[in-house]
Amino acid sequence: MNVIEINQLTKYYGKHRGIENVSFCVEEGEIFGFIGPNGAGKSTTIRTLLSLIYPTSGTATIFGKDCIKFGREIRKDIGYLPSEVFYYEHMKVIDVLKYSASFYDHVDMTRIDTLAETLDLDLHKRIDDLSSGNKKKVGIIQGLLHEPKLIILDEPTSGLDPLMQQKFFELIKDENKKGATVLFSSHILTEVQNLCTRVAIIKDGSIIKVENIHDLRENNYKKFTIEFQGAFDMSRFKFAGITNLTQEETTVHFLFRGNINKVINSLQGQVLHNLLVEEPSLEEIFMHYYQKED
Amino acid sequence: MNILIQELKMEWKSLVVWCLSLIGVLLLFMLLYPSIANQISDFQKIFNSFPVEFQRALGLTNIEFGGVLSFYTFALTYILLAGAVQAMNLGVSVLSAEVRDKTGDFLFVKPVSRIRVVSMKMLAVLVQILITNAVFFLASWLILNLLSPTSFNIELFVLLTGTLFFIQIFFASFGFFISAFLTRIKTVLPISMGVVFLFYILFLLNQTLKDVKLSYISPFGYFDLSQISKNMSYDSPYILLWGIFVALFVYLTCKLFIKKDLPSI
Repeated sequence: MNVIEINQLTKYYGKHRGIENVSFCVEEGEIFGFIGPNGAGKSTTIRTLLSLIYPTSGTATIFGKDCIKFGREIRKDIGYLPSEVFYYEHMKVIDVLKYSASFYDHVDMTRIDTLAETLDLDLHKRIDDLSSGNKKKVGIIQGLLHEPKLIILDEPTSGLDPLMQQKFFELIKDENKKGATVLFSSHILTEVQNLCTRVAIIKDGSIIKVENIHDLRENNYKKFTIEFQGAFDMSRFKFAGITNLTQEETTVHFLFRGNINKVINSLQGQVLHNLLVEEPSLEEIFMHYYQKED
Repeated sequence: MNILIQELKMEWKSLVVWCLSLIGVLLLFMLLYPSIANQISDFQKIFNSFPVEFQRALGLTNIEFGGVLSFYTFALTYILLAGAVQAMNLGVSVLSAEVRDKTGDFLFVKPVSRIRVVSMKMLAVLVQILITNAVFFLASWLILNLLSPTSFNIELFVLLTGTLFFIQIFFASFGFFISAFLTRIKTVLPISMGVVFLFYILFLLNQTLKDVKLSYISPFGYFDLSQISKNMSYDSPYILLWGIFVALFVYLTCKLFIKKDLPSI
């Protein structure tokens, strides 16, 4: 069953494009990644799902119900963590959480304490005394408190230190094991790769590709930078799997997908000055997807 | 209910300050009364010597400096002005606060409909206005009783003090409408001060011009204190107009706000 179904969703802010003809589905029980650079339309898509904004055309359903028409009903089972969290400044953390809980039926209030303990958050501080990382923690508790069936995370890790990020991912995985579906938006490929089963890649308001993380791993691109000592033969790198080949004096850059031994073999007998094999940045992968589309 | 309680919790401090200020202004004015009361005929002469336009602009026409109520009318003019600013502040800020303080992403993803949020917030404003009026009514009644050696006309007192409620409701609902209409409101006070004084100046201007059409524009003209003192009643066409405007503003606010895109952080 699809928890989220987005169909040809388009949003224009006046003349400015938000998103154009975005379509994808999120299946029940999966952790679905939603990646793209800043301004690509991730938040616009998410905000439409939450009926914070209204689509120009197209539809989206959550739990099989139209997300605008049945917004109130649907939101009972959604937990949302925005990229930046803001709360009523003069309230204490515990009061914000209680206020948040008051909107839902049957909230297990003991979860406040357990979650606060996991995340190491002082519940009796005032919101305006909190650092942005700690505010984020309030956001996490607030989003997970009512045990939602669908968790929507919009660039959730910004502001959290690596240790907290790890704890946060554990929390999300736990909720997922208990049956929650997760829509995880991010511009950091690695965190999506580690957590998600499938990803949708969005750029300039349109979905470029929906791919299985497994396939993405299989088709994993490596970014090679090879610095030779002296002259070398460029034609060695003319084989399948190599893209974006560029040369600067004695240095060669390229992206490679496939059996890595092929590259190693091609270097036999060459004297190298330096060799770098890196994860390509998201941007470089996007560039690749663009070229493939053309 | 939780939204209503939350609103009142957040606003009670400013409500107390406003109530105290309104009472303070009244008290300052009324404390002058005992010293003036003895020389009232001299004051009357001074005011009568002013050019008539000036008298009108100060809201002094038709004010007979006879009893404590006529002096109260004079003070109330300024109370109405302050009360209008308070109500307009409440009206403009109650909805726009969620955007200004960026808490919209918290409130509007909760399982509540927009219309419920709007109505609860309007209710919160209404409650605050009712509290302000109740407090002010009691305080002014006390002050007048303490300062006036003779009894005064209770009915007229109620009519005069009641104008605060009508003026406040008008400006609060106009404030709602403005906040639903504008996308981003950074600061509230300049808007409310601007609008209230604009309406007040229109009213003063019309005191001199005496143009009937113009009198329909400013709510201060609907509840002209000197007219009320003279007729011992509110003017029914104006009351009707007041009702129409308030209903229209509330309706448009709901209609606009339900379809409004919440700007992202």
